[in-house]
Amino acid sequence: MTAGTLAPKVPAPPRHRRVRNPGLGADRVFRAHSGLVFLFLYVPIGLVVLFSFTAGEHAGEMRGLSLRWYGAAFENQFVTRALSSSLQVGLLTAVLSTTFGTIAALALQRVRPRLRAAYDTLTYIAIVIPGIVIGIASLVFFVNVFGFLNPVLAGAWPSVLGEAPKLAPGLQTIVGAHTVFAMALVIVLIRARLAGMDRTLGEASADLFATPWRTFRQITLPQLSPAILAGFLLSFTFSFDEYVITSFVKGNVTTLPIYVFSSIRRPPVKPDINAIATVILAFTLLMLLSGWLIYRRGTRRAGASPVALDATVDV
Amino acid sequence: MDRTQFQKLYLDYERGRIDRRAFLKASGLGLAAAVLAACTPGAGASTKPSAGTSSDWTPPEGVNLGDTLNLTTWPNYHDQATLDKFKDVTGVSIALTIFGSNEEMLAQLQAGSTGWDVLVPTNYTFETYGQLGLLEPLDLSKIPNFVSSRYEARFLEPAHYPAGSGDLFGISKDWGTTGYVVNTKNATKPMTSWKDFFDMAQGELSGKVMIHDYQLTSIGNALKYHGFSFNSVDPNELAKAEETLLAAKPHLFAISSDYQPPMRAGDAWVAMAWTGDGVQLNRDIPEIKYIIGSEGGEIWSDFFAVIADAPHRDAAYAFLDYMAVPAVMAADAAFHGYPIVDSAGIDLLPADFKNNPIIYPDEKLLSPLEFGAAVTLTDQNRADLWNRVKSA
Amino acid sequence: MEDSEGRSKTANGRGSGLVTALLLVPTTAWYLFLLVVPLGILIVFSLGTRTDVGGYSPGLTLQNYADLPTRWPAFQNTLTLALIGTILCALVAYPLAYYLATRAGQKRTVLLILVILPFWTSFLVRTYAWLQILGANGIPSLLQTLGVEPRPVFLNTHAAVLLGIVYNYLPLMVFPLYVSLERLDKRLIEASKDLGANRLRTFFQVTLPLTAPGLVSGALLVFIPMMGEYIIPSILGGGKIYFVGNALVDLYLQSRNWPLGSAAAIGLIALVVLTATVYLRLTRVSSQRDVSLL
Repeated sequence: MTAGTLAPKVPAPPRHRRVRNPGLGADRVFRAHSGLVFLFLYVPIGLVVLFSFTAGEHAGEMRGLSLRWYGAAFENQFVTRALSSSLQVGLLTAVLSTTFGTIAALALQRVRPRLRAAYDTLTYIAIVIPGIVIGIASLVFFVNVFGFLNPVLAGAWPSVLGEAPKLAPGLQTIVGAHTVFAMALVIVLIRARLAGMDRTLGEASADLFATPWRTFRQITLPQLSPAILAGFLLSFTFSFDEYVITSFVKGNVTTLPIYVFSSIRRPPVKPDINAIATVILAFTLLMLLSGWLIYRRGTRRAGASPVALDATVDV
Repeated sequence: MDRTQFQKLYLDYERGRIDRRAFLKASGLGLAAAVLAACTPGAGASTKPSAGTSSDWTPPEGVNLGDTLNLTTWPNYHDQATLDKFKDVTGVSIALTIFGSNEEMLAQLQAGSTGWDVLVPTNYTFETYGQLGLLEPLDLSKIPNFVSSRYEARFLEPAHYPAGSGDLFGISKDWGTTGYVVNTKNATKPMTSWKDFFDMAQGELSGKVMIHDYQLTSIGNALKYHGFSFNSVDPNELAKAEETLLAAKPHLFAISSDYQPPMRAGDAWVAMAWTGDGVQLNRDIPEIKYIIGSEGGEIWSDFFAVIADAPHRDAAYAFLDYMAVPAVMAADAAFHGYPIVDSAGIDLLPADFKNNPIIYPDEKLLSPLEFGAAVTLTDQNRADLWNRVKSA
Repeated sequence: MEDSEGRSKTANGRGSGLVTALLLVPTTAWYLFLLVVPLGILIVFSLGTRTDVGGYSPGLTLQNYADLPTRWPAFQNTLTLALIGTILCALVAYPLAYYLATRAGQKRTVLLILVILPFWTSFLVRTYAWLQILGANGIPSLLQTLGVEPRPVFLNTHAAVLLGIVYNYLPLMVFPLYVSLERLDKRLIEASKDLGANRLRTFFQVTLPLTAPGLVSGALLVFIPMMGEYIIPSILGGGKIYFVGNALVDLYLQSRNWPLGSAAAIGLIALVVLTATVYLRLTRVSSQRDVSLL
């Protein structure tokens, strides 16, 4: 405040001001750094997408533009089968984990603290455990259980029903193994959301003699739906891209990551892998976009706090 | 069309200048003619009755082969053209699962439910596979093209389990040796022994040498470095081999049984290798030579086997029958460069194949070589040693 | 409305107990059969011995745990590279998160999404892209044309694996940092400036301590999965760089020493759980130091 000012200065109203550092220098540095990071993140992906359009034979060289590898990839029966398997596994995992996880998260609210802590520990282990370990452990489990059950089934199966089913690793075991992690993920998401939710609405509903089911359906569920959707999408994406656990429990099923990995291991790699990756990227982008739009609309309608990302990260 | 024309055609195909159909069309007939012509090196037109070109093979009557076959095999071991021809005739697409060691194949089979149909095991594994019942004794009536009398006994014999019995668990695919390839343009000092290999790997060739991700050959050749037996399971000898491997490891470029790409790219100059890879590399890059260590090493034979409870059993047998056709075997060998066992097939091979010292090394180099022994597959010390070396 | 034990009451008292139990059945079944039991089997196996042909033979011995130290290099490799990778991630992510949280303005959501987008491409393909870039036809040949002789080799080195790790885990680090920085009460920074501190001092005495929870959160979100990493060393390490995960897979799928492999797996779990527990302790401590004007 300099001496001699005539009009009293009105103090700036307290509001959240963006921190503005003097000097454009710092700004430039930050922008340069961020630019480099984005370059670092996107050049490899860009290369993958770029080489998917090559007319040549190998993924490392750009020999003219062509869509032939897209055609080749989707004409390849192994690719289509792998894609179909991945989709089935992903959808089943997402549905199972979202359903079970949501109801479990709801139930855990009403459970004794000690019991809740037990479930929390299990959830925590399920998330933290390396894929390698759970993959191997699941494989060992399945092999032993099936080894035990199959003779029992064969012996006890009534012949009128035909041949006894033979349990073996396959689609179901992949879904089973994936769901462990995915369900834990959903539980964490939903519980975080529940913690941040406005309870008064639910209480008001109960006070107005709504049955618990009605309260759930009309109050809780809409508020939860963004988180449920987020959980569904995350579970699906996790399962769809999962390699390590799958490689152990897959039996003779091939999912897309399995196919991609075995192709990568055998250079020279054909660009059909690039084509597949680009398609998946485009598809995921689309899903993400639609999911985000739905979520945004959902949050505004439900009137709860935005950015479930906050809740996700707060774990 | 002569052999060089075929080569060029093949290379054009590989480089994407012509597509598969054009290649097959141009070469399919050409190859049969070339093979036949090569059987008569200028000595007059003796018409050898073609022991059947591949177009002579027909799938078994009235058998539904399905549309897939899962073949578990080694790197660079099959001519894609051979597999494609099988598909053209039967409609069965072949999916390859590649491993670089018998141990990995066995481990997966032990864990179960792999869904594999045909396996390519090496001679020393049959005892273990037989004990565990992982392969099925072959129903030779389904492989009419296989005539065992044409197969050299020392290569075919290991597939009998129990040894000496009538049950055959595999038909020979080929045989070969384990040595190493050297890019002589870069690694100019002459190398002849495993001593050269391991010493120079730590010296002037540091960062340029590869060994197999395979306990049998890597440990075995380290044992040869010390003059011990390739198949030794003696703990003291193994300890010395471990020392050598651990000393070399930091200097290696990679530990992998799929060494062709780095050799081709020039990232690796020397790699522990098998006969056929030596042939393939030398064919494309003549300065890459194949060396059999003077101290000795491995001579081995590989087989086609049918896995027990294979999901596509009929297709598996059809494939074995197809590969047992001498012309098919010979055409495949012309690509992969491994010497085959069937005498009728050998007759069909071009002269330069039969005269290739990589494929048929000197007797003095062959005689110290040992066949892998079954005990190496089950010996715990060797398995743990290998895991320790890799974890180091 | 909660009762003394923290249970939320509903209109029907008793019936809800059954409903709750039923709601928990699927999760319980899954956790029991596909988490607890398999881990239990692992523990049982780790006490066994290896059969001749490979596999598990029942036993009750701690020999496998005694043998674990021979695999120490793999553990050491894992810890070292995971630590360095985490630090690198933090160094790269912090400025980016800072920029996004404080200076990017309207663009920040879009940029955030752009940071996380690579995550949605196939992990394998991303790592494979680096295989190409670091391989003979990628950067090395570029350097060679620029005159660097002999052609440098980047693949199958610790650096390559580190690069792969940082690349794949960076988004995981950016997010918590961003959230933490975004929550930062900017008035504290202003206050610090008003009190005469220069930018650097403000950063070290105000910003950094206040964002420490985000830093720790991000570090662990990154360090823990890094320890269980298997694919990146496998693809970019050429069989030379071994993490515990690789040694583990090898023990099962090559050496077929299931008991030792199980012991190594339990070792890895213990390591991971230990680290995660340390994280929980640390965050509890640091959240107590949270300062706010309100």
